[in-house]
Amino acid sequence: MTNIPVNAVDVSNLTVKFGDFIAVNNISFSVEKGEIFGFLGANGAGKTTTIRVLCGLLLPTSGKVKVSDVTYEQGIEAIKAKVGYMSQKFTLYNDLSIHENFAFTASLRKIPSDTLKRRTKELLEFIGFSKPMNTLVRDLPGGIKQQVSLAASILHDPEIIFLDEPTAGVTPVARARFWALIKQLAKDGKTIFVTTHYMDEAEQCGRIALMRTGKIIALDGPENLKKTTFPEPIIELNPKGTIPSELIEQLRINKAVDSIDSYGMKYHLIIKDPQEWNQLSINIAPYFVIRQIPPSLEDVFIRLVEGVTR
Amino acid sequence: MKLLNFVTVLGFLKKEFVQVLRDPRMRIILMVIPMMQMSVFGLAISTEVKNIKLGTIYNPNDSVFRRIEERSFSSKWFIPAIGRGTLNDLNSDPLEQIRSGRADAVLISPPGGITKAIERGEGTVQLLIDASNVIRAQSIERYMQSIINEVIRDEFHIVAPTPINFDVRILYNPALESAIFMVPGTMAMILCIVTILLTSMSIAREKEMGTFEMIISAPVKTWEVLLGKTIPFILIGLINAASIYMLAIIVFKVPMKGLYWQLAMATLAFIITTVSIGTLISTFAKNQQQAMMGGFIFLFLSNLLAGIMFPLDNMPLIMKTAAYMNPMTYFVKLLRNIMLKGGSPELVWTYVGILVAMAMFTATVSYKRFHHTLD
Amino acid sequence: MNLQFNFKRALSIAKKEKFHIMRDPFTLTMATILPVLLVLIFGLAIEFNVKDIGLTVHDSDRTFSSRKLVEVFSSSQYFNINPSRGSIVDAINDLDSERSKASLIIEPEFEHNLLAHGNTKAQFLLDGADNSTAGVILGYLGGIQKAANFKLTGTLVKEPIELKTRYLFNPELSSPWFIVPGLAVVVIAILSILLTALTVAREWENGSMELLLSTPVQPLEIIIGKLIPYTVIGLAAVLLVVLVAILGFGIPFAGNIMLFGIGSLIFLIACLAQGMLISVLIRTQQLSMQIAMVTGLLPSLLLSGFIFPLESMPKVFQNFTSILPSKWFMIISRGIFLKGADFIDLKLPFLGLFLLCSILIITATKKFKKDLEP
Repeated sequence: MTNIPVNAVDVSNLTVKFGDFIAVNNISFSVEKGEIFGFLGANGAGKTTTIRVLCGLLLPTSGKVKVSDVTYEQGIEAIKAKVGYMSQKFTLYNDLSIHENFAFTASLRKIPSDTLKRRTKELLEFIGFSKPMNTLVRDLPGGIKQQVSLAASILHDPEIIFLDEPTAGVTPVARARFWALIKQLAKDGKTIFVTTHYMDEAEQCGRIALMRTGKIIALDGPENLKKTTFPEPIIELNPKGTIPSELIEQLRINKAVDSIDSYGMKYHLIIKDPQEWNQLSINIAPYFVIRQIPPSLEDVFIRLVEGVTR
Repeated sequence: MKLLNFVTVLGFLKKEFVQVLRDPRMRIILMVIPMMQMSVFGLAISTEVKNIKLGTIYNPNDSVFRRIEERSFSSKWFIPAIGRGTLNDLNSDPLEQIRSGRADAVLISPPGGITKAIERGEGTVQLLIDASNVIRAQSIERYMQSIINEVIRDEFHIVAPTPINFDVRILYNPALESAIFMVPGTMAMILCIVTILLTSMSIAREKEMGTFEMIISAPVKTWEVLLGKTIPFILIGLINAASIYMLAIIVFKVPMKGLYWQLAMATLAFIITTVSIGTLISTFAKNQQQAMMGGFIFLFLSNLLAGIMFPLDNMPLIMKTAAYMNPMTYFVKLLRNIMLKGGSPELVWTYVGILVAMAMFTATVSYKRFHHTLD
Repeated sequence: MNLQFNFKRALSIAKKEKFHIMRDPFTLTMATILPVLLVLIFGLAIEFNVKDIGLTVHDSDRTFSSRKLVEVFSSSQYFNINPSRGSIVDAINDLDSERSKASLIIEPEFEHNLLAHGNTKAQFLLDGADNSTAGVILGYLGGIQKAANFKLTGTLVKEPIELKTRYLFNPELSSPWFIVPGLAVVVIAILSILLTALTVAREWENGSMELLLSTPVQPLEIIIGKLIPYTVIGLAAVLLVVLVAILGFGIPFAGNIMLFGIGSLIFLIACLAQGMLISVLIRTQQLSMQIAMVTGLLPSLLLSGFIFPLESMPKVFQNFTSILPSKWFMIISRGIFLKGADFIDLKLPFLGLFLLCSILIITATKKFKKDLEP
């Protein structure tokens, strides 16, 4: 008998409506076991709504959802048993200690006490937690709160973990540490589904889905996305000094140029006509340091999103 | 049948207790304040009208009137009006005395004095009463009438009884002391503030903080959450009740003629009902403020409609119906009956049954309203 | 930093608060409609003139006279007759089980004694647990005795000294006239305290207070700024209640409307300030709520002189009630509505209110810690 690999998550034609407002509009995708799947998009694009459906926290208006081989028809409880969830408000009780929070989470999921002891030890080691267990959560620094929150959400050792903006408002060092943990979990065979605003985190995902106004406008690995969105390289223009303001506008309407956007102090320019560009680049050379750069996910994001609005 | 797993409920119990008891201010509110309230209200509240400021207008020669006045001031009811003068003093315009609040009532002798007036056959003494307070007014008239009756008896030595007489016996409270009657009502009021407020805000708080999402992301059953969220408050309520009862019975010497298990049963039924109602409120509230408003409306209405401050019998039908849907009405009746009258079994079982029915009804509605999803 | 009170800043806080309130229609409706509704409902519902008193009658004489006696009771508007279910013990049990509030027990020799000796008696048992209704019932008994004497023997018992009562300010002893001005005070006090108790605590909890404190704004400005819009709402509620009282219940407004207006203004500010003081001291909503209820609900209901007479309390407690704004305004409200009292009559309550108001605002300002530590 052939072993057909089972996806961790299967979503087909999922729509979620709140009254007349369509939050999620007929999306379909799958997440493989052991993948780190990233979900990007602006606030209100439908990311959190989708995650809530996948966790069993929100009923779909229509469509089919299968999470770890369990569908909605089999009951929300079955879905909830299989997943771990860390919400945006990264929900621990501020007025309880870490030990008390873990004990409570364990009681919610009916984890026996010896398992709890073992898991607690493993998880605290895993996140490198060295403070005493009876510290109140509100006395912990922000980055550590995040990690403890993660630990609590996987106390019951779920196969799939949903993280909704887990690193919001956390230092870059703490973020890096957090993602090291995520990657370790993936290596151990867990499937991670994470939403984020940070492009550098998106780069670390196996595949990314880009959501905008309830639809998925792109779904692929980071590198593929860059290649497909920018078949042509991106040109970076670094002004040598002050440049006349009309110059950018002139470049924008120039037939060699597809688009030009400011990027901090610099500009990213996308070529429409390579031959015309060669001539143009010589003309503007006095004003800018010109070089080709590989596209970043940010470029991809802006392009795709702009593309939808235009 | 699967054995019910109480792990989750126990987990909730632990968490709720830790949270509630960790804040020292909350500990004070839960334990100290009800006792303080009991002390203040237990000592202060009575329906008995006393210290009535009585102004008098009469001729100094009027001996009978003087006797009435003496009797009035030596009774526990009346005290002299502020700055009272005689008939010739302009300050003693009775209307002015009452309007300014210097007197609650003014007793005016008939012209020429009572003795002369009786000879004329018109021995009428006029009593002007400040009727802006209906309760006081009723009492003032009654007290003055009984004083005058005493004076008549003594002055005119009427020995022969009238043809028809009544042998009046006052049961349960022969001295008509009011404090004893008020205490059960006050106890009910104090007890339910804590239970209603704590439970109604509890779930709303978790929704506002975001931890509610965390709870229902786990496969918990409704009964587990509801029990976990109500049992701690039931226990707190019971401890409260015990301390209030001890204070009332030992310090205020409120009689306890009935059986303690009756008291316990009635208290348990009431606390469960109010906790249940608080939970129901919290299923409607989206945030703490709404929960608070809901709790407040319930508390206010139930306090007014429980027969504590106003007699229920005279209310229009709609209000009476509302009063009889109010758990506090039954609890107050139960307390009064058990403590003051010895607890008639018929009444106790009926009312406890009604409370239990209310509890079951509200619990069922809360159960149905509890969503395992975020909507 | 400019430590002077800047009224403009207070006004801008008032404006911001106004937006919060307008966008929360629930609270707005509650604050204005609820007082009116409650006053209307309870003004109609509460009646102190006790009627429909359940009376168990046990007549073992069953003569013309005994039946006539029962008739006297039943034809008064006060008593509802519940016929006895059996023995005399039942008559007592009826009081135990609260089927009746009183029992009339007529023994077998009733008529015989009247005809033979010229006087007779019947036993009247009264449930004394509720002493206020018991007292009223005892009062009725006097009139019933007179009527019984007249009906059964034709004798009109005339007392040498008759007491003629005249009720001032409320000639018909109407319960709504008594309740409505008082209930208005209670309801408005409770609501005001609750309203403001939440606002500052809420801002601490959701972090917007931190924002305010990063500006040069002073605590007094925050307090005054928040008080202004709520006072306006409160005055609207007071106005509605007064209209209901006058138009709905026909309660005369015997006094000066300006005086009442000023009194309600000071009263409102005092109650709002009390709520604000609570939320300044306590920075969580849940706790503020509990304390507001404890210091607002029960004291206003029970210790303001609304129903339970202040004069009957031990001196200690009477003095204690002086810290309650509702106690003072109760005197003013009833005084102006029913008695047409003027400022001279009410100088003490006004002074009390004004002092309380100032103390509360000053304390709230002083206790408003500008640091972020709880």
